[in-house]
Amino acid sequence: MLVMFISNIGLQHLYAQDSEKNTVRIKATYVKIMNKEIYFDIRVTSKIGNDNINVPSIELTVYNEFEESEIELGTVTTNMKGEGKFVIKDFNSIKPDSTATFNVLISFKGNDNYKKASKSLSFKDAVIEAKVITEDSINYIMATLKDTSKDSLITEASLTVQVVRLFKPLFIGEEFNVTDENGTIFVPIEEGIPGVDGNLTIEVVLNDSEEYGTVKDVVIAPVGVLIVDESTFDQRKMWSPRNKTPIFLLIFPNAIILGMWSLIIYLSFNLFKISKSKN
Amino acid sequence: MKNYDKLVTDLAPRKFGKRGVTWTIFLVIIIIIGLIAYIDQVIKGQVVTNMRDYALWGIYISNFVFFVATSFVGSVTVAVLRLTNNTWRTPLVRIAEIISLAAISMAGLTIMIDMGRPDRLLNLFIHGRLQSPITWDVIIVPTYIALSFLLLYFPLLPDLAILKDHFKKTKPKLSKWYGKLALNWKGTIEQKAIQGKSIKIIAIMIIPVGILLQTIDAWLFSTTYRVGWDSTNMGAYFISGAFVAGVGALITVVYIIRRVRRLENYITDYHFDKMGKFLVLACLTYLYFNINEYLLPIFTAPVQEDIHLNALVSGEYAPIFWFAQIVGLFLPILILLFKKGRKPLPMFIVGLMVVVGSWWKRYIIVTPTLLHPFLPIEGVPESWHHYFPSIHEWLITAATLAMSLLIITLMVRFLPVIPIQRTADEQELLETNTNTES
Repeated sequence: MLVMFISNIGLQHLYAQDSEKNTVRIKATYVKIMNKEIYFDIRVTSKIGNDNINVPSIELTVYNEFEESEIELGTVTTNMKGEGKFVIKDFNSIKPDSTATFNVLISFKGNDNYKKASKSLSFKDAVIEAKVITEDSINYIMATLKDTSKDSLITEASLTVQVVRLFKPLFIGEEFNVTDENGTIFVPIEEGIPGVDGNLTIEVVLNDSEEYGTVKDVVIAPVGVLIVDESTFDQRKMWSPRNKTPIFLLIFPNAIILGMWSLIIYLSFNLFKISKSKN
Repeated sequence: MKNYDKLVTDLAPRKFGKRGVTWTIFLVIIIIIGLIAYIDQVIKGQVVTNMRDYALWGIYISNFVFFVATSFVGSVTVAVLRLTNNTWRTPLVRIAEIISLAAISMAGLTIMIDMGRPDRLLNLFIHGRLQSPITWDVIIVPTYIALSFLLLYFPLLPDLAILKDHFKKTKPKLSKWYGKLALNWKGTIEQKAIQGKSIKIIAIMIIPVGILLQTIDAWLFSTTYRVGWDSTNMGAYFISGAFVAGVGALITVVYIIRRVRRLENYITDYHFDKMGKFLVLACLTYLYFNINEYLLPIFTAPVQEDIHLNALVSGEYAPIFWFAQIVGLFLPILILLFKKGRKPLPMFIVGLMVVVGSWWKRYIIVTPTLLHPFLPIEGVPESWHHYFPSIHEWLITAATLAMSLLIITLMVRFLPVIPIQRTADEQELLETNTNTES
């Protein structure tokens, strides 16, 4: 009922806009995860009154702008948070212009509530090649940033190095790890970082670059401290399920129950003996 | 022989007078109203109660704890006094046994009422974990019911046989029933030996079982990490509290039965004086545990415990807290310390004060703690931070109290409230001693 009530309020809010359509704002980032996937991270919002609200369930069309023509790459629909992820299945299907820049248009054709809108995105293709090396018993993450169009190294770019954790990444190295003349950074990996099976998942990230977007390479390296699983799952503990009751709790209470009820049965039998007793 | 006949006539159950019938009808009406409220609760669910996310245990659990505490009277007065050979117990034990059985039976029923879906009772056995004190409770309550029944029944056998003969001519149908229940009791040496041995076993057994019952009841709370419950004192605290509630209930019921059945020759001022001393001992012990329970946290209390204590001592629950402490504990101790306070009428008033105080004491053990959790519950209405029972809860609780009183009333109607055979034996022994001495 509460959900119905809240959603009803939301709908009234939208219906009230019939006379004047709202403007939507599209934000998009190009993300490339090495050897994994390439996608556009899209978020659609609208300012209604004083509030910026997320716009769910609207369809966006993604085009590749090439030589004054627009080649449709596909569509994506925003979720309840107003977010959409458009995965580029084949990167070769996008064509760059003469400067090796890829131009993409994300377009919304408008509906009863919102005006049409679009967002242009331009980026060049870059790669990060990261690996773990050991020198003098110290582990380093070495990463090189390259521009693929010119096959040249990218210097003086700031890369972030982080270890994947459950809630928030753990940053290692300096705050800004700037690539040298070889387009490379060296970041020492501190000792004692725990990892499942001793493995650390280390990410090297070029974050939201104006020219290259976001580029990330992930390295899994056995340089962490082995996490010893201290879970009591499957052990006989006070908080375990009934089939994992601690042995002492199986023995003593059951012995007491057995003792008490044996005596009660004996006493009941005594009543029977009294009733059958002869004069 | 004449004395014996008079004794049987005096102690045999009698038909109710006008007052008895009115009382019984009154109880039945309360039970029917409570039953209607309960059916409504089963149909609509526990939303009809005022129990919510904070107060997930309410008046039903307070009432359950009260019944469990009251049932302890069977262990303390009957078993302890029997094993210590206190002869003054004779006219009181049967009433104590009846109260004990009525209270523990209603405790079992009350816990089912609190479950909301009574058909889920079976789940406690199917899915019960031995690690949980709730499972121990499910086991100990039926055990105590069985033992309380046997403790009442074994000593009744000779009396039932006497009643069979007594009503043979005047009420043959009733006599037949007494005959069946007497289990062919003839008072043979063999029967007496089996009976004596059985009573001894029960008397020994019911003390640890009674202590287990009260302790498990306390552990239901103290194994839960909550303000006011997280205490190693709870087991002993509950036992001493049960001692008070049980003896208080016994005194109240004994006074009423003595007056209604005109048993002044059998239950004398001497017995009241003894029960008074017994109760004051219980109250002093309970006072000691109360000081432990409330004084020490004042010195060591973290913030949450401090909030809880303030709510009890000077906040929302102060009236109930001080009522339970003063009316249910301090004043009874003061009155009972004087010989005049241990006369029947003052004792009856003290008994009532103790019983009412005990009931409210359980209320403040259960409810305020639940309203002060260590971590607040997010997103609940402000009203859920407070608890006062709904009309359904009051009606159903009143019905369970009425039901326990009805059980006692019906047993008083159909059973000899003072053991006939034992009283006769004691009088005979007394006369023999007197003759020998003269």
